[in-house]
Amino acid sequence: MNPPLGSTVLTQRKEREIPEPLPSLNTPTKRISAIREELLNTRYSICLERPLLLEKFKTSPQGRRARSSHPLIRRARAISYILSHRAPKIYDNELIIGNMTSKQVAANYYPEGGSINIMEDLFRLENRQVPIHLTFWEKIQLAKIGFKTSLSSVGGKTLLRPGRFSHFLDFFRAKRYFITEEAGIGHQVGNYMDVVHNGLVRSDMKAKQCLETGTLGNGAPLSGDQKAFFESVRIVIEGIRKMAENLADAAERKAKEPEITDERRKELLSSAAACRHVPYFPARTFLEGLQSCWLVHVALNLEDFEQGMSFGRLDQILYPLYCREMENGRLNAEKAAEIMAGFQLKTCETMPLYSERIDQYFSGNAVAQGITVGGTGADGNDATNELSALILDAFAQIRTREPALHVRVHENTPAWFLEKAVEVVQLGCGKPSFFGDPAVIRALENAGMTTEHARDYAVIGCVEMASQGRTYNSSDACLFNLPLCLELALNEGRRFSGWNPLRKRFGADSLPVAQMRSFEDVVAAFRVQVNDAVGEMVRVISWLEKTYRVVRPTAINSIVTEGCLDKGADVTWGGGLYDLTSIQVAGLADAGDSLYAIKKLVFEEKRMSLSSLVEILKNNFSGHESLRRELVNKFSHYGNGIKEVDTMTQLAADIYSDAILSHKNTRGGQYVPGIYSMTCHIGFGRKTGALPSGRPAGARLSNGLSPIDGLDRCGPTAVLRSAASLDSSKWANCCALNMKFDKKIVSGKTGRKALSGIFRTYFDQGGMQVQVNVLDADTLRAARRDPSAHPGLVVRVAGYCAYFNDLQPTVQEEIIERTAHGIG
Amino acid sequence: MESGNMAHPKNPAVFSIQHFCLHDGPGVRSIVFLKGCPLRCAWCQNPESWKASPDIAFKAHLCIDCKTCVNACPQDAIAAPGVRDVHKCDLCFTCVENCPSGAMTCFGKYYTPESLMEELRPEFPFFGNTGGGVTFSGGEPTLFSGFVADLANRLHEEEIHTALETCGYFDPQKDIRFLSDIDLVLFDIKLYDEAEHSKYCGKSNTDIKKNLTRLAALSFSGTGPGIWPRLPLIPSITDTHENLTGWAEFLNNIGISFLTLVPYHNMGGPKRQWLNLPSAPEFPTLTDESLRASINLLRENGISCFAPGEEDWANSGLKT
Repeated sequence: MNPPLGSTVLTQRKEREIPEPLPSLNTPTKRISAIREELLNTRYSICLERPLLLEKFKTSPQGRRARSSHPLIRRARAISYILSHRAPKIYDNELIIGNMTSKQVAANYYPEGGSINIMEDLFRLENRQVPIHLTFWEKIQLAKIGFKTSLSSVGGKTLLRPGRFSHFLDFFRAKRYFITEEAGIGHQVGNYMDVVHNGLVRSDMKAKQCLETGTLGNGAPLSGDQKAFFESVRIVIEGIRKMAENLADAAERKAKEPEITDERRKELLSSAAACRHVPYFPARTFLEGLQSCWLVHVALNLEDFEQGMSFGRLDQILYPLYCREMENGRLNAEKAAEIMAGFQLKTCETMPLYSERIDQYFSGNAVAQGITVGGTGADGNDATNELSALILDAFAQIRTREPALHVRVHENTPAWFLEKAVEVVQLGCGKPSFFGDPAVIRALENAGMTTEHARDYAVIGCVEMASQGRTYNSSDACLFNLPLCLELALNEGRRFSGWNPLRKRFGADSLPVAQMRSFEDVVAAFRVQVNDAVGEMVRVISWLEKTYRVVRPTAINSIVTEGCLDKGADVTWGGGLYDLTSIQVAGLADAGDSLYAIKKLVFEEKRMSLSSLVEILKNNFSGHESLRRELVNKFSHYGNGIKEVDTMTQLAADIYSDAILSHKNTRGGQYVPGIYSMTCHIGFGRKTGALPSGRPAGARLSNGLSPIDGLDRCGPTAVLRSAASLDSSKWANCCALNMKFDKKIVSGKTGRKALSGIFRTYFDQGGMQVQVNVLDADTLRAARRDPSAHPGLVVRVAGYCAYFNDLQPTVQEEIIERTAHGIG
Repeated sequence: MESGNMAHPKNPAVFSIQHFCLHDGPGVRSIVFLKGCPLRCAWCQNPESWKASPDIAFKAHLCIDCKTCVNACPQDAIAAPGVRDVHKCDLCFTCVENCPSGAMTCFGKYYTPESLMEELRPEFPFFGNTGGGVTFSGGEPTLFSGFVADLANRLHEEEIHTALETCGYFDPQKDIRFLSDIDLVLFDIKLYDEAEHSKYCGKSNTDIKKNLTRLAALSFSGTGPGIWPRLPLIPSITDTHENLTGWAEFLNNIGISFLTLVPYHNMGGPKRQWLNLPSAPEFPTLTDESLRASINLLRENGISCFAPGEEDWANSGLKT
């Protein structure tokens, strides 16, 4: 048996020296290529198994009995029913088993959440830009499910009430904010350290003991709610065990099929044996470790929803198992990489369910199942190990849209590791993204975490933050449109345009521009509007949180979140050790650059009155194109290393952050800000009027921490300088800085050294996050057809670099040819 | 808005400062492009570098026809956007300052050594982690050797690596001490035959060859900067058998066994239009095959070839 590692184990000592040179494991085996090909050739679909089982449960005897039980138990029974009744599927070649849906690649349908939006596309599923394939019969079923459950989602239950109806409508007309928490909370880095090394049995026994003694671990007597909580824990664990057993049975059945080769039979039987053991008992091997993670991951996906369900620091979690098997000779690096690549391919089985309307806010079909590698241990020393590299190599084998990969960087990150990560970036999949440990850890400490726990952070989904296994972070609760608040500030709380015969205020009543005497007055009005919008948003989220406790508590999530079993409380009831609600902002650079433009044009150069500027904005620069061009071309913008304008971006970020940080959620947790926008900057942009930065009405906003598209004119190092110069200590939910490079510039060893070098400098200077797209000839062609597709794309022109959009068509063509040729 | 374009007669005009350059010396570099060049190579991609004084360019594709330039010009030199009477124009740059779209552009801004250092300094941290530094290019930076020497000295005081890109056309008797704070010279060679060189580049190559010989000797005796030759490959002009073998023999004789080949692309065309200069002659595009043939030919003649940015600086045995 394993020595118990305890749920608070933070790092392991380095048991093995990192081999020199490190083996390169990025060539896929036949098995991995076969699974990958099958996944890529499978058409996207929707799985209806979960909603149908949920319906079936409601009318079953257990379901009817559950109606009168405590909400925690009622929900646990429903989830347990789904887990234990879903049909197991074993796919060819796979070593880690456990189907995410009833189909090989499909979205789960969550009637409790936002899946209903897909009804908008019901009659044209195959004709969408990203087609979804359902049989005619399935479509009828889907329509039936949609109809029956349309009002029973969390959003419906919360907002279809007197006085709240206009907030319900906001989901269809998102402007100041877009509340994603309505769809589900998801977004978790569970305590896989505990799951893998202690098994669910530890939690099960703890719940059992509390129920038997009628007390919490600290001796306090259990309340009725607490009793229900511990029962719910045991119920869902039973469901997970049953799901694993069903999979084991299916694998054994498959092993008996006559056409199965001896070799495959052995694999199936060992998968079956693994599923009979984990995740209930501690994993004994590397394979069992990953199998354990996978099964709990599937359970978490089926319990809440699919967004941002992440694995945490797998290089740390699996390391003891890897070392033990490497030492006793039962595993070699090649095999471990194959198992890891197969595990990562499992994450491609799922996708989100968005209508095309919603897709403009969250484009890309990502659910972002994050794996974090590298970084420091709890002691602050470097924790990069062999597995950190192996996980990157495994991704290099598959290069798929999932999982999300995250690399932590600190001053002692080995050069070979950073270069290896950049090598994966060079493949052009936009992964991994990079995180600066000092900046992230400081922000998490400011959000209330201990230094040790902050150092054990892992990325949730895309960029969001958790101390792994200890945090309940509704990390993607809502996206916030900051520039719109500036529009409202310049118009007494009304939008610049739109049908508004009653002159109704959309925001707060703030000072009319004619009475603004100084730039400080503008800032004050902006602050009023931001505070008002944040307050309104918090009010709606608070309603949702109350519904969640009753309708959609998450016992499985509570098992993998430290604190819940100690307090006897579900995560939705505030059981997590750290509890956060995170709000993301879009259009930060637009807001900052607009403040700068107002300050300079109106108050410093006194070229026009604020009222005249606002009139021009209301008319979307009509008749004032030269002013608009001047604002765009001649005014300084964030992202060029210019302090006077970067401080305005800081000001905008601080106004937003302070508004967010002034609120607590109903679980007692802190609201924290993040600076990223999915693709909400496009959807929000359509609803936002003209801005003093020179941006016309309806144009997309800047994304995350990035400069306004195309206005970073001094190259990537200047962007990094500007970003690193901002104070990120309040951004406990991190930020996203997107950068794009021409493959030709950053290819080979020269590019690898250059990128890893500038990222190291960025993090040395306090940078928090950066993610990179390396683009090739096809992308450039797309950029030429649609210049707005890749603004800010830097290409190498002869001896110099230029923005692709700045080049004349003939030169663009030349560059495309050159890129395709690979010379130059 | 651009400002500070007051003439500093003893300082050169800078037409561009580019950061994150990976192909003009080791590591991540910033390149300072100085205006003024003694050569007029037919294929030149940076025609804005020719004149030592600032130029006004007109980028027609950015113009919104607002006529701000026409109205702003104190000399009445602009009849319509893009139609500027160069005799009336006294280069006051009022049109450039007032142009909202960026169609009217100024190439060339005067810097003092101090102001240029301030411009470069924020990039220094990126050099340290990549082995990069600052490269002086042009135009021809040796035209401004005092200014370059001063800046190189300031950069060395802050432990910044320095490189200088030259066409090699300067007085062979020139006091070489202006290179004492330059770590690496990137020496551009073009045509080996003197008559051909005069024909395509406008000047004889005799002094260029003398200077290359002299700098190689200084480098190999450890008393000068490292030296690395670069040859732009212009199809059927510089990639001919005679030209490549001629240079190979020359390089072998002065002890250099490596060369960077810069493939030709016709990128300078639009810039000539912006500057109202006659179009450059058309040269065929370099193909992969002819690039490979050139590499093989040079290799057979004892010269290892490198692509820009992929030079093996560390193994060249030079001070870099």
